Amino acid sequence: MKSYDLLDLAVRNVRNSRLRNLLTTVGIAVGVASLVAMLSLGIGLQTLANKRLKKSGIFETVFVTSRTDFRNADRQPNEEEKPEENPPLDDNARRQIEKLPNVAEVVPEIRAMGEIEYAGKTHASFVAALPPSAKDDDGMASLKGSFFSSANANEVLVQQDFAKRLEPTATNLIGKDITVRYAERKATTDDPSGSGFSITRTERTFRVVGIIEEEPFGGMRMISRARVFFPTAVAEQMNLMQMADTQQMMKAGPQSKVYTMLTVKVINSTKAEEVQDAIKKMKFGTYSFLDATKNVRRFFAIFDGFLGIFGSLALAVASLAIVNTLVMAVLERRREIGIMKALGASDIDVKKLFFAEAAAMGAAGGVLGVLLGWGMGRVINAGTNVWLARNKFPPENFWYVPWWLVLAAIAFAIAVSILSGLYPASRAAKLDPVQALRYE
Amino acid sequence: MVMISPSSGHSTAIELSAVSRQYSMGNATVHAVDEVSFAIPRGDFAALLGPSGSGKSTLLNLIAGLDRPTSGAIVVNGRDLATLDPTELARYRRNAVGMIFQSFNLVPSMTLAENIELPMRFAEVERGERAQRAAELLAKVGLGNRAHHRPAELSGGEQQRGAIARALVNRPPLLLADEPTGNLDSHTGQEIMDLIVELNSSLGVTIVMVTHEQALADKYARRALHMADGRLVNVVGEVAR
Repeated sequence: MKSYDLLDLAVRNVRNSRLRNLLTTVGIAVGVASLVAMLSLGIGLQTLANKRLKKSGIFETVFVTSRTDFRNADRQPNEEEKPEENPPLDDNARRQIEKLPNVAEVVPEIRAMGEIEYAGKTHASFVAALPPSAKDDDGMASLKGSFFSSANANEVLVQQDFAKRLEPTATNLIGKDITVRYAERKATTDDPSGSGFSITRTERTFRVVGIIEEEPFGGMRMISRARVFFPTAVAEQMNLMQMADTQQMMKAGPQSKVYTMLTVKVINSTKAEEVQDAIKKMKFGTYSFLDATKNVRRFFAIFDGFLGIFGSLALAVASLAIVNTLVMAVLERRREIGIMKALGASDIDVKKLFFAEAAAMGAAGGVLGVLLGWGMGRVINAGTNVWLARNKFPPENFWYVPWWLVLAAIAFAIAVSILSGLYPASRAAKLDPVQALRYE
Repeated sequence: MVMISPSSGHSTAIELSAVSRQYSMGNATVHAVDEVSFAIPRGDFAALLGPSGSGKSTLLNLIAGLDRPTSGAIVVNGRDLATLDPTELARYRRNAVGMIFQSFNLVPSMTLAENIELPMRFAEVERGERAQRAAELLAKVGLGNRAHHRPAELSGGEQQRGAIARALVNRPPLLLADEPTGNLDSHTGQEIMDLIVELNSSLGVTIVMVTHEQALADKYARRALHMADGRLVNVVGEVAR
């Protein structure tokens, strides 16, 4: 039998038992809707998390430290420090890392204690450098005022809570000048070993151009959460006394200026691992969030799997309804099946006809289910956003139905329906035409 | 038992050799058809006569390829049905044989035209040709104006004429009729028999008709094969040799 005839007969048969088949189709639709609802929730949450993390630049960042760094986990206790095994994280290393393929930017992590003077009062705070790329970071979404006008601008951004300590209305600080006092590292020329430097109290005035809610991502903040931020190029000129300087000072022999940490931005998160490996080969300690997110991604895969299983339960129940409907149809249409066989329908034709009927119900249920699931998602999303708004949270879209899910859900509904049609179809095909024709 | 020697050749439409069909009923074996042999020439009109339970309908189902014999051979138009696999047997039913039943057996949810087109769907005839053939046959059986009626809207005679049109739509050389007038009044029954005879003479279709009415066989059939208890007991008329 030709496909269009098969489909025509199947649709006609489905229409003939309208109520029963409609109920079965609605059953499939509810199953598909629950599957779509569950999976789109999982996918939505994952997308939201990824978007947040991606926007923060976290996946494109590799942190580089010297293996002799006091924080470095790679360092074994009592490990003998061989210079060739532990190269210094200096300008030379920075240039080498910059030359690596897929590296977009290498900036030093500059962070130090400072004292801020404003309106005759002084406040202690950590100060830190922000590279030009920080402009696109997620943290800048809350920026009031503007970002640094240039890479060398004598400007600062101030964290909102700290700004409130200076000015009760934080935004009033924008356009005002603040004085920053800090410890400046100055190399001494009279030290024959070349390792000496002096620390000088220096002060410099900056114009506040913007207020930000939180420190944007870009450094290993830990306890030293900074409140005032300069452009990286300015911070480098300032020669802020760094933790690495203290450590370096204690080493014997000639020493060059070293970095506490370099933050490497790669062009694309997929290249982060490659860049990380290349830097490891240069014998530096590295850390990237890809390491941590491997577990997160595994969690989401398992989470989606569970949601899919729970969502499929309703579809499994619906599949039993399909079996029931089709078995009933076989019983009711025994005589018709006998007539068809007497007229020359083969067992395969009969089997295909029942499969086509199951598939037709599956397709209709699938489409209906996707619409229902999508609608449910919109309603729940809207409801949750009302709740979020009441609790003064910004609205979120944690419900995401990608195209592949729409197509996969319909295909899955059809596949499950055809599978459910296996038994009834084979029962119909096996009917003895002589017996079937006698059936009243 | 009457034995008619089967003779092969192009002029033979149906040839049965020692055909038996047994059923198990609990511990008992029922011999529905028992060692039946005969041959019917092409273009013939044969009646299978006998009381209820004599095995005539079972024999008709065997010739129709709806059932398989327990033993013996059935050769229709040179084709041994025992050698056909289920798919080939379905093709045989589709193209080589047309069947009409006492209870018409039209599909109630389809119109008359759709019922007539149904065997052509199985034979994968193109849609355009299907409609044309169905219209021609409906005109031939005098139902040109009833094409879009459902069986429930037709009289018994009209339904049976529709069933005859359906049986012939794939142009089979053999028409098997199981009590075709059994559910009709005598006047309508006569009309149906006239139509069958007309098809037999105008199209040269071989006809085997099951009936328990001797008068019907005497009036229309060229040959009458009498059955009793599953056996062929008498043959009246010219027999193929």
